Order: sequence, then C-alpha cells, then structure tokens
Amino acid sequence: MPEAELERMPATTDTALEPLATLLAADVVAVHLDPEDGAPALEISILDRPAAEEMRSQCVDLRTFLRERLTPLASDERLEAMALLDEVAAAEPAPEDQVGLSASRALVREALRDPLPPSLLDRDEPQGMHFDSVLALAEDAFYVRGWARDGQAPLQRLTVVSPEGSRVELLPGIYREPRPDVHSFFEEPTRTGAEGTGFLGYCETRSPSLLSTGWILEMENALGVAREFPGPQVTRDLLGARTSILNDLHKESGWETPLMDHVVPAVSRIQQRLEERAAIEEVWEFGEPAANPEASIVVPLYGRIDFLEHQLAQFVHDPELRESDLIYVLDSPELATALKASAGQLFELYGVPFRVVVLAQNGGYSVANNRGASLARGRRLLLLNSDVLPAVPGWLGRMSAFYEDQDSIGALGPKLLFEDDTLQHAGIKFQRPPGGGAWENEHYFKGLHRDLPAANMTRRVPAVSGACLMIDRELFEDLDGLRGMYVQGDYEDTDLCLRLRERGRETWYLPEVELYHLEGQSYALETRTAMSRYNVWLHTRLWDSEIEAAMAETA
Amino acid sequence: MTDKPKILYVSHNHPTIRPGGAEAYAYELYRAVRDGGEFEPLFLARTGPPVSISSRYHEGTLLTGVNEDPNQYFFYTDTLEYDWLNGTPRGKTALIKYLREFLQAQRPDVVHLQHTLFFGYDMLREMRNTLGDEVPILYTLHEFLPICHRNGQLVRTTTEKPCREESPRRCHECFPEVSPQEFFMRKRFIQSHMSLVDRFIAPSSFLRDRYVDWGLPADKVFTEEYGRLPVTPAETRDRRKRNRLVFIGQLSYFKGVNVLLEAMKRLQDDEVDVHLSVYGANLELQPDEFRSEFAELLEATKETVDFEGEFNHDDLPTIMADADWVVVPSVWWENSPLVIQEAGQHRRPVIASDIGGMAEKVHDGVSGLHFRAADPASLAETISKAIGTRKLWDELQARIEPPYEMDEHVRSLTRHYKELLASRSEEELVTPPAPATEIESVRYA
Repeated sequence: MPEAELERMPATTDTALEPLATLLAADVVAVHLDPEDGAPALEISILDRPAAEEMRSQCVDLRTFLRERLTPLASDERLEAMALLDEVAAAEPAPEDQVGLSASRALVREALRDPLPPSLLDRDEPQGMHFDSVLALAEDAFYVRGWARDGQAPLQRLTVVSPEGSRVELLPGIYREPRPDVHSFFEEPTRTGAEGTGFLGYCETRSPSLLSTGWILEMENALGVAREFPGPQVTRDLLGARTSILNDLHKESGWETPLMDHVVPAVSRIQQRLEERAAIEEVWEFGEPAANPEASIVVPLYGRIDFLEHQLAQFVHDPELRESDLIYVLDSPELATALKASAGQLFELYGVPFRVVVLAQNGGYSVANNRGASLARGRRLLLLNSDVLPAVPGWLGRMSAFYEDQDSIGALGPKLLFEDDTLQHAGIKFQRPPGGGAWENEHYFKGLHRDLPAANMTRRVPAVSGACLMIDRELFEDLDGLRGMYVQGDYEDTDLCLRLRERGRETWYLPEVELYHLEGQSYALETRTAMSRYNVWLHTRLWDSEIEAAMAETA
Repeated sequence: MTDKPKILYVSHNHPTIRPGGAEAYAYELYRAVRDGGEFEPLFLARTGPPVSISSRYHEGTLLTGVNEDPNQYFFYTDTLEYDWLNGTPRGKTALIKYLREFLQAQRPDVVHLQHTLFFGYDMLREMRNTLGDEVPILYTLHEFLPICHRNGQLVRTTTEKPCREESPRRCHECFPEVSPQEFFMRKRFIQSHMSLVDRFIAPSSFLRDRYVDWGLPADKVFTEEYGRLPVTPAETRDRRKRNRLVFIGQLSYFKGVNVLLEAMKRLQDDEVDVHLSVYGANLELQPDEFRSEFAELLEATKETVDFEGEFNHDDLPTIMADADWVVVPSVWWENSPLVIQEAGQHRRPVIASDIGGMAEKVHDGVSGLHFRAADPASLAETISKAIGTRKLWDELQARIEPPYEMDEHVRSLTRHYKELLASRSEEELVTPPAPATEIESVRYA
C-alpha cells in the first residue's frame, strides 16, 4: 500500500464520502478506500456518534467491503493497515460507543489477518503452546499466562494479539517459568530459568481492548516456523484477578525476583482502578462541626460498623474530642443503609459531632484514609483505626502539644496496647529475616507489659503504626497521602514514614499517650497472609536503601 | 400530686408480670417509699419478650399503665435487635425518643436504677442527656451481669466452677466464639455508661468487692442490705427431732438443687431419718441434661424427698412452719439470697454453701451451717450433724439476727438520696490508671 492517510472525519461532513468506497461498521469505524492514480489510499476514521441516515444508505456492510476491497492487498500491507488502525484508535479520544468500535475492529482484524497454522497438542509436533489466561486490569493493561514449547529451534517471537488487532510482543521481557507438566507430556527434561516454557506477566496494548473473546497467541522460531493458538475468555473481575496475580508470587522466594516487575505494575493498575471507583458518594454531617479544629481524626470503617458505637462511648468522656473534626469513612458501601440509621441515633445519644464519608466502592485502607483526609478541616491529621480505644481522655491534646514542639517532626505515634495491657505498638523498626530477604515491619517490644521502661522512652523511631498516627495535614497533602499500591492496610504507614524521612522529617514515638488497639478483628487472617507477601516485597523494592540507612541510625 | 421530690425507680420487670427476686424487692421498695418516705416514687418497669408475651399496646408510645396507679408505668422494649454481649439495643429509638419523652414529662429529682437489662446500659447516657448532671443516679447491683456474659452467673462454662477472676482472656475461654478483644470492648462500653452513676448500692459485701475489683471506684459503691417488709414469723413446732429440710428456689443447676438431692441419696442409703421438701419453679426452662438428672435423683430419693413444685409466696409461713432447716446449696456465688432473709424472718437456721453471698449472710456455727459448695458428701455430713443434736438447732435459732427492716432500709437510702442532692459531685470516669512508669525523653540518633 503506497500511502495511508489518517483523518478524523467530522460526522457532519460524512456525505463527502464516495458510495461503495466508504465503509461504515457499527456506525463507528469508517474506512475510506480512495482509488487515486490507480493505487488505493486507505483512510480510517472513528466517528463520534452514529452516522447520518443518508451516509448509512451509501454504505455496504463491513464484511462485504472487507472481502471485496481489502483482500487484494498484500500481506504486509494488511498488517500495516491493522497497525494503522491500532494507532488511530490509540490516538483518538474514546468514542461514545467503545464496544461498537471494538467489534468493528475485530471484524477488520479477521479480514486483514493471515492466520498462522494452528498449534496442535501432539507429541510428534515440535511446536506446542497454550494460552492459559488473560486478566483484564484496565482497557489497555492485561496479565497473561500460558506456555510455548519449540523442539526445533529457539523461540524468536511470542506475540499476543488482542481481538481488536493490537499486537504485543512478549519477548524478551516476559517472566518465564518451568512447566514440568508440559515437559513430562513431551517426555523431556524440564527447561528452567530464562528457558522456562511457561510465561506469565503484565503487558499493555497500544489501543484499548474491550472484547472478551478473540485473543490469539502467536509463536515463531528462529527458522521462521510460526503457529498460533486461540486465547481463553478474558477475566474482568478485578478482585479475583488481584488474588490470582498475588498467588503467582508463591512461585518465588525473594523480593528481588523479576516476577515482581510484572506483578507490581499489574497490581498497581488494579489498585488504581479500585481507587478510582471508590469516589466519595455522600457525606453525612451529624452535629455542629467544631469551628477551628486543631485536629481532624480520620477513621476508616470496614465491615465492623459497630466499632463506631464503641469509640463514641469512649470519646464522649473527652471534651477534646467534641472540639475535633471527627471523620468516619465507610469503606463498606453495602453497609451504608445500616450505618445511616445507626449513626444518627448514636449522635443523638452521645452528642459528639462527626461526619460520615461514604465511598461508592470499597477502596481499601489507604484510599479510605485519603478520602477522609481530603475533607479534613484541622491543621493536623490523626489517622485512627476503628478498633482503637483511648485508655484515658486527653490523649489527642497531648499528641498535638508534642507535635507542636518538635521542629522537624513528620509522624507521631503513641503507645498502643492489647486488651491485656501488653504492648501492641511502641514504634516500628525494620528487620530482615535470618539469612536475609525482605525487610519486615517489627513492632518494638510487642507482647511485653506496658510499664516496660524501654518502651516508656519518648524517642525517634524508624516508623510508627498507622493505627494511630498524627501528621501535619499540609505535609500529608504534599505527599499525596497514603500510597494505594499496597494491598489492604499493610505497609502504607511505614511507607509514609519513609517518604517523610526522605524529606528530612522525623518520626517520633510518644509513650505517655496510651490507646488500646484491639487489632485483628476486621480482616480474615488468610486474606492478610496472601497479601502481606506482596506488600513486604514491594516495600523493600521501594525502600531497601532508605531502610538500611534508617536502621543504621538506631544501632 | 405532692410537692415531695420525685424519685424514679427503674426495674427490668414487674412482679405482676413474672415474680423474681430483684423485681419483687424493687416493687416493695417503691411501695414502702410511697407509703412512708420523703419522696414521691415513680416505678418504671420494662415489659416485652421474652418475659411478657404481650406486645406493645398503643401506637406511638412504648408506655402502658399499671393497675391504674398514676405513678407506675410499663415500658415496652423489643429484644429482637438487642445486643446481648454489650447489653444494648442496636436501635436507640426507645432511648432517644421514648425514654427521653418520659423523663422530660416526669422530671424526676433522683433516679434509682434496679436494672438496665432490656433497656441497655446506654439508658444511663440518655438519662444524663435529658436530666443533666444535677439529678443523682443510683444503681442497685443485684447480680453480676455487667461483669459476666454468662447471665452474670460467674460460673465458668469450662468447669462449671465459680469464677474467681474476670478478664478478656478468661471470658474468651468461657465463650470461644467471642474474642478477648470483644470482651475488652464490652467491658469498656459498660463501664463508660456505669461511670455516669453517682452511687452504687451493693446488697452484700461480697458483691461490692467483686465490682470494685472489676473497676468501679470503691468510694462509689455502698453496701446496703435489702430491706424486708415485716412478717409474722412462722410457728415453731416443738418437735423431738429437727430433721425436716426445705429447698426453696429456682430449679436450676446454679441453685444446686441436684447437689442437695445427691446428699439426700447418700443419707437415705445410710438410713438417716431425714426429710426434704423441694419447692421451686421453671424446671421446664432448664436444659434436658439437668432435667433428666433431677428426675433420676428424685426417683432415687422418693422415700425421703417430696417434690412440691411451684408455690405461692403467701404459703411461705406454712412451708416454713413445716421445716426445721432451710438449705441454700447454690453452686454460684449468689448476692444476698432472699431465701436466707426469709429464713431469718421465720427464724429457721440455714445450711448454706460456703461461698460468696451465702457465706457472708449465714454465719457458720452461729446462725447456720456451711458446707463445701458443690460437694454432696460435705452437705450430707453437715445435714447429719445438723439433725443429730437437738441442742444445736436451738442454739443456732436463738442467735438468728432479726432481718433488716424495710423502714430502716428506706431511711438509709433516703440519706443517700439527700446527700447526693445536697452536694452534686463531679462525675468521674471509670478508666484504668495512667502508667506509673516515669517517661524519659531520649533520642536514639
């Protein structure tokens, strides 16, 4: 094909198109084949809205057009035409009917594509492959798994093709894993390392892909032998995809694995989307808000909305709490109706003013805190878990006073106790497991009695728990709040302290203030273990050297 | 209407619906204050399931009248949505609307709670909201419900032995499905509300000590025995042998009736000349295991034991007249058992378990006898000793102290009310003390 022109065609000028030379597919894609000097020029346009009736009447259907007009094109010209279409779709703003566009593009792809010989699963075939799964993380982000085995020559190319025709080359960056099951079928030794037959990982398509079927996996070896294999149905459940991807980490034992190069972007995309969905849906205000609150207390509520009543039954004894800006963030939207009924009654009973921020979807710990903080009126923020109860009134003022007095303070955490008066938290340090590995968060003196002298020293610590953490509001905003890349309430707090440290801000532990942290009631334990491996690896990946430095100071 | 100051009594039940020790006492107190006190009493009795089958009568209110008495009300609360662990209704409408309206209309000068059960501990918060800090609130502690989730029995589910210390850990052992953290929150929740009470009245020192151990401020808890309305003591028949025993109480595991029957079986096997009458109700509410054990023991002791079933309180003098000894064999601590006071009023020595309120109210070898709680052998031995010598019974009977009179009780409570009205003390919080450790400031860097 000599030349291809890209043109965005305004719907009002549709009539300029020549009969039969124009194709309208699902009213969204217009391909204009304009014979000029005997050579066809291809114009591809995406319309903003359904085409005008007059224009429709001039068109033939897509299949007919493709068959009659594009088949004569040479193979490489057709590939080029597809790439062109991909480029247009990526460059143009999304049309109203995105699915329609995808459907049209899938038809175009099938008309233009030269199918490769199918891969057969046969011991006598040198080439074998399987496309196990496609997890959709975003419109242009996917996590794919499968295997490709070539007994003839080294693998040269491993390509996934979206139903819309976006081609993504997986080699060499894709994560390779041994597939003993495959090699046992082919009765040969298992290939490991970079030669691993299995592949899995994160990839991005150039243009959005919305269709659930029609993915293809292609392979080609050094001798030019190529095969293809049809892909499975796309999985779109984000939470399911997240669990599935995190489980892949069980294949590895160390945080430095290249697998993390795939899991981190994949999970981050999911987290980002979950965050977008967890917009503030409603804000309910109970009582007269304090005029000039010193502190805003942000409390995410997840699952256990009964904790609200328990906290209010304690806060009611503390005049400082009535003067503060108390913000509950409901991160379990399915409980909104129940909470609305009860929150109003509880305000009537306790008279402590508070707001409730309802999120449209569950967004996780960091999102809930950030959303709450975005509405804060106080000079300082106090991030507080819903299962934390103060030991005695006056705690908030004492924390504020201490914070005020420290020039370069960033974060401040109090002493947290278990229900049996032993230490749940006296500051956080980082520790590598014996034999090395990722840094793990360790609470100082956990399980020892609250009166332990060493736990009663006001001091700088590497980090403090987000279960009760004070920070200047502007500082928090400058840092864009807690980072949502961690999964479900783990390591966001130490990440925050390390980012503060990077800016020269200190983290302090204040034992004269005591609260009870009745932890572990909100989440199922298994869910936490599955995610904590990811969080701890990610945390070390981001902070290895900073942690090293922070810990050197404590020595 | 009178110009006397108003005192509001709140009870979890009314004896006209179902008899029960605490509610019967509360009602007697109400009547005694009405008939001779310096206060105008109001009586607010909770009604509703499971105690009463009646539903709320009138649309738009939870109140109904009681026997045309303008100073008595039933207050209906539902228990479908009652949080039994924390002792609070999940919906607060009954408190923040209906109780509030009642308090606003009545404006009591003093509140004396006999119970918060079925209302919720947070009724205290609502009372403070509506009545302010000027109105003294008193709270008579009839049992251990705030301390113990097992219906306040303080008997461990693991061993069925009396519990000597409460903690989130131990409570969780008794109720594995409730976490220690939830028990901690329960305690903090209940104490949050109980901190609004100005004075607690404990009918026994034993009960007072348990509550002080649990966290109530010692200077707020006063020991004050239940007052008794005067009765004519039952006839003391001149019998050659003092070998007639009586058990009066709920037929439940905790009241120890089976321990007593076990002891009777031993005595019967030893051919001891002894007789026991068993009076009591609510057998049908007991677990099958208890009921079949009770039935087997009754069958085995039929020569010496008569099971009389439910009884009418008016028949008490007759029942006492037939008996020489009253046996109180409870396997839980008890508070101040009414039956011990009644035995005293009718001048019958008591054979009681050597624990808790029973040990406190019955003086071993002085006005009665102790035996090792939950030990049938010890009880059989004590009964043998009791019926063996006629002189012992005479000596013990002679030393029975006259019961604490209701009039005196009302005078004592009135002093409490007046003291509190005279000087309204600052409310204190029930909270653990701050750590004693000195705080140093050290930089690690």
